[in-house]
Amino acid sequence: MVSNSNINNVKTKTIGEIFSKDPKIICRNVDVFYGEKQAIKDVSIDIASREIISFIGPSGCGKSTFLRCLNRMNDTIDTCKVKGSISLDKEDIYDEKIDVVTLRAKIGMVFQKPNPFPKSIYENVAYGPKIHGLSSSKEELDFIVENSLKDSGLWEEVKDRLQSPGTGLSGGQQQRLCIARAIAVSPEIILMDEPCSALDPIATAKIEELINQLGKNYSIVIVTHSMQQAARISQRTAYFHLGELIEVGETKKIFTMPKDKQTEAYISGRIG
Amino acid sequence: MGNEHILSSFDDDLHKLNKDLLKLAKLATEQFVSSIDNFSTQNIEEIDKLILRDKNLDDLDEKIQQLGFEIIALRSPQAEDLRRVISALKISTVLERIGDYSRNISNRTKALCELSSDDIPGVNIGKMGLVTQEMLEDVIIAYKDKDSDLSIKVRDTDVVIDKMNTKLYQEVLASMSRNKKNIVSGTHILFIAKSIERVGDYVTDIAEQNYFLINGKPLSEERPKADKTSLYGID
Repeated sequence: MVSNSNINNVKTKTIGEIFSKDPKIICRNVDVFYGEKQAIKDVSIDIASREIISFIGPSGCGKSTFLRCLNRMNDTIDTCKVKGSISLDKEDIYDEKIDVVTLRAKIGMVFQKPNPFPKSIYENVAYGPKIHGLSSSKEELDFIVENSLKDSGLWEEVKDRLQSPGTGLSGGQQQRLCIARAIAVSPEIILMDEPCSALDPIATAKIEELINQLGKNYSIVIVTHSMQQAARISQRTAYFHLGELIEVGETKKIFTMPKDKQTEAYISGRIG
Repeated sequence: MGNEHILSSFDDDLHKLNKDLLKLAKLATEQFVSSIDNFSTQNIEEIDKLILRDKNLDDLDEKIQQLGFEIIALRSPQAEDLRRVISALKISTVLERIGDYSRNISNRTKALCELSSDDIPGVNIGKMGLVTQEMLEDVIIAYKDKDSDLSIKVRDTDVVIDKMNTKLYQEVLASMSRNKKNIVSGTHILFIAKSIERVGDYVTDIAEQNYFLINGKPLSEERPKADKTSLYGID
């Protein structure tokens, strides 16, 4: 367990408000190493309940690495070592007793490239609830699949072909299927790593609208290279540079009057 | 922070916007200074030239508005870049209006030229014009140099114009009461003084916009005001 004391008494070089009134995830002094190379340096930040926060920054700045720490996806990389503390509802997610599979159900993830299973649309969504034992009958499973597809805005487009392969959908539909798959296991947080970078503007707009809707029920952390996307959908924005969290704040403040020169250089397209 | 964008054509657009805005500022200043000079010299030929030149300001303002919209639509400026574009659009409109007031002053000066000098109240329009001219020149320097303090100083100087206008108003009204032949010329002079006072207000708008551009927040303190002409005749 992470102690309540000192949680808001952290030394940080980050400019802006790293704390939240109602934190879901609390990260303190997080360092990440790939072998000898340090990819994340002393990052502290809260992710609030039902907030949409964007991580922005140039390629290689560590934003995806940090995102992957939040549901221990970096565990799959042998050379990767995470230091500091990350807690979900005040419980240390790196504690030995934590079941990583259950953790990743609570903190779902959507990737850059849509990656549906080579199964039917129905099975793509039903797979998670099945392995996590979230349904006790076929009717209950049908209900979860239908609701997840409705919440991801895909139901009307696929309700008559649920047994067709998920891989036969368009790119944007596949990504919404992956979001349906993530929300089918009733997560509390959804991590999204550049979820629209492989999509056209229309499919992107649909995903962004979906993110806005999902933000009413889930905390969403999104890594994006599109600053306009960050501006459009997130309440808070965090700017990373060379492994450090430089600045975090209200999105409208970050994009109109950032406090840090490096943030301003990046968002205004200058050489930082 | 480097001052140059990765995309050099973005810099080219911003430089062009700035260059055009400074050109408009120069034209507006010249028009205003000429309108005050012409009031003293009553040179009809110069007055007519000034009135014709106003179209140049209108055209340049239109060009700036177009470029500003294009930059917003195509470049999605952020932070200081966004403030710079929005400020340029607002300041351009104000400069174009200063041009309009200079033309109005000239139109009324032309009418005064037709009247006998005996029937014109003797008031100090030139001094009021000079203070306003200095404010206008200072605010352009403040814009060019990103000088926040000078912007505040210019804004606070507007009160001097207001006081001059109030005094002049009383003098012209007194003159018209004494001699009814002065009513026509006095009315023209009141409108000329009001135009100068409005130019002072517009310069103040530029100063406040400039403060916002530099600091990213509005100049919130209320500015001092001393134009009492609207209360004249009320006990």
